[in-house]
Amino acid sequence: MRYKGESNMFNIGTVIGFEIKRTLKKKSFWIGALSVPALLIGVVFIIWLSNKSASETSDQFKNERYSLVVLDESERVNPALLSQFGAQTVENKQKGIDQVESGTTDAFFYYPNDVAENPVEAYAKDTGMFENSKYQAVAEMLLEESVAATVNPADREVLRGNVAYETTTYRDGEEYNPLLHMIAPGIFLVLFYFLIAMFGSQMLTSTTEEKENRVIEMLLTTIEAKSLIVGKIIALILLAFIQALVVILPILVLYLLFKDQLNFSLPVELSAIPIDGERMALGALIFIGSYGLFTGLLVAIGAAVPTAKEANGFLGVVFMLLFAPLYAVSLIISSPDSLAVQILSYFPLTAPIPLLLRNAAGTLPLSEGLVAAAILAVCAVIAMWVAIRLFRYGAIEYSNRLSFKTLFK
Amino acid sequence: MTKAQPSPLVEVKDFSMKFGKTTVIDSLNFEIMKGETFGLLGSNGSGKTTTIRALLGIYKPTEGKLYIENKAYTVDSDVTLGYLPEERGLYRNESVLDVMIYFGTLKRMRPNEAKEWSLNYLKRVGLFDKANVKIDKLSGGQQQKVQLGVTIMNHPKLLILDEPTKGFDPVNRRLLMDIIEERQADGATVVLVTHHMEEVEKLCDRLILLKDGSAAAYGTVEQVRAAHNNKSLDDIFVDVYGHHALQGGEQHV
Repeated sequence: MRYKGESNMFNIGTVIGFEIKRTLKKKSFWIGALSVPALLIGVVFIIWLSNKSASETSDQFKNERYSLVVLDESERVNPALLSQFGAQTVENKQKGIDQVESGTTDAFFYYPNDVAENPVEAYAKDTGMFENSKYQAVAEMLLEESVAATVNPADREVLRGNVAYETTTYRDGEEYNPLLHMIAPGIFLVLFYFLIAMFGSQMLTSTTEEKENRVIEMLLTTIEAKSLIVGKIIALILLAFIQALVVILPILVLYLLFKDQLNFSLPVELSAIPIDGERMALGALIFIGSYGLFTGLLVAIGAAVPTAKEANGFLGVVFMLLFAPLYAVSLIISSPDSLAVQILSYFPLTAPIPLLLRNAAGTLPLSEGLVAAAILAVCAVIAMWVAIRLFRYGAIEYSNRLSFKTLFK
Repeated sequence: MTKAQPSPLVEVKDFSMKFGKTTVIDSLNFEIMKGETFGLLGSNGSGKTTTIRALLGIYKPTEGKLYIENKAYTVDSDVTLGYLPEERGLYRNESVLDVMIYFGTLKRMRPNEAKEWSLNYLKRVGLFDKANVKIDKLSGGQQQKVQLGVTIMNHPKLLILDEPTKGFDPVNRRLLMDIIEERQADGATVVLVTHHMEEVEKLCDRLILLKDGSAAAYGTVEQVRAAHNNKSLDDIFVDVYGHHALQGGEQHV
């Protein structure tokens, strides 16, 4: 037996363990968690297959040999290249077309005088929908290689668009890359979105199960309502991290194994991502306040209604308020001082996304961020208090919704 | 030498409970002594369950004091409590053993201790092979056995059973009676909340009969019967409530 001094913390630990264990045993958790990497694996495999096939086909087509006649009025195609390819020349366009029609040659390419104005024409024997692209591939290769040979390598790369550009911008006398600076504080926005989207429904129904199963009275005489709710909330947070790991680990493994084949590299070096301590701290405060507020709100709704089905009816309303600012992302970033953005930033139920986005973009002044974070924190405490009270006193209203009046009695 | 007076474990003083404008309990007073088996009786809607819920801190009383071992009950109280509520159930989608260990741990048992006790109990009631089966795969009677196990797994010194035989089949009724006798033999205080007089007559030392939130009778079984011309408790119940109570015509609170 344990003793009462250690029981509260131990009971929270017991609730966390029980909630995590039973969630991990649910098929729906693993289906939800594994569907994202599975989908990505599928997409990556298709991309890889497609790239491989396209590359092989392109090489194959470029090296394809078939009987060919050419009329080059542009005088840009290198005759040496044509002879390498075994191509014959004809005097006029109609003669070339006739040869293809009569079957005496497989293909005829006509390069007009001004290739910038008029199309290069290819006439050829049909070899099927996909195979027919080999004619254009060869016609293009002949012209491109011929022209490329006439300019120096640097000019060739310019013409091919293979030139890299670097822009350096400054803020307050220091080098500043807005996109790069968004990455680290932007993690809080991604994390918040992920947690709420994945676990909103579970938060909402986390207390209805006890009601629906009539287990609440036995629970309330063995554990404090507060400990039970806190345990459930911590379990939800830990489960979200477990789910994030389940999603991220396979993607990371996949990336490390196949990055060469996918011809994919991260757009920025991880070590080059700047960490702005002030913005990170503010982001963390806003994240904690927002997460606390929405967890409290969802748990409170769940505690006030008798069934999970009824609780789920409210989820749409909460999500609508929370995610509505996503439709105004460009306004939030471009006009952070506009009245609409200010209202969205200070109204607690819409505030998380505008605040986290503005903080990531560097358009949230510290003083404004602290005030908004304080509002969120106060609302989170109130929501938690309401949630615990509703659970405490509404839990045994098995078939009725708890009235608002009862809450304050 | 004078015999030591039994001390009260439960004290209910001037307890009143109102829901809105409806008075459910009106200035109720009674005591439950340590080691006795006490019957909290009354028809549906008489306030029995409300009294127990207020005693266990689930409801906040409108007025008065409800004490267990001289203080209001909280989950951190020193008293080891076993409570079988009238509205009962378990986590249906979890295994029998997981649920029992969970409740045992919440009741301050070590997880290993809770597991060992649970397996022994399941062996005793013939459910050992169901330890890893989900609760909702069990029959109603089997679920009742698990529920009883959860109620007594911390060797409660105060065992409160609200309508304990409600929905029980004869086998489980027998099991319940055995459990009550075991707890009595262990010196525990047992509170039976019921309107089944035969159970009270057989098991209880003292009783209180509630009507409209007040005590219509209170004392030992013998005292209550003596005050009603030595009638049976069944007859006394009918006298207090009238015949309509037997037809379940009152509203449950």
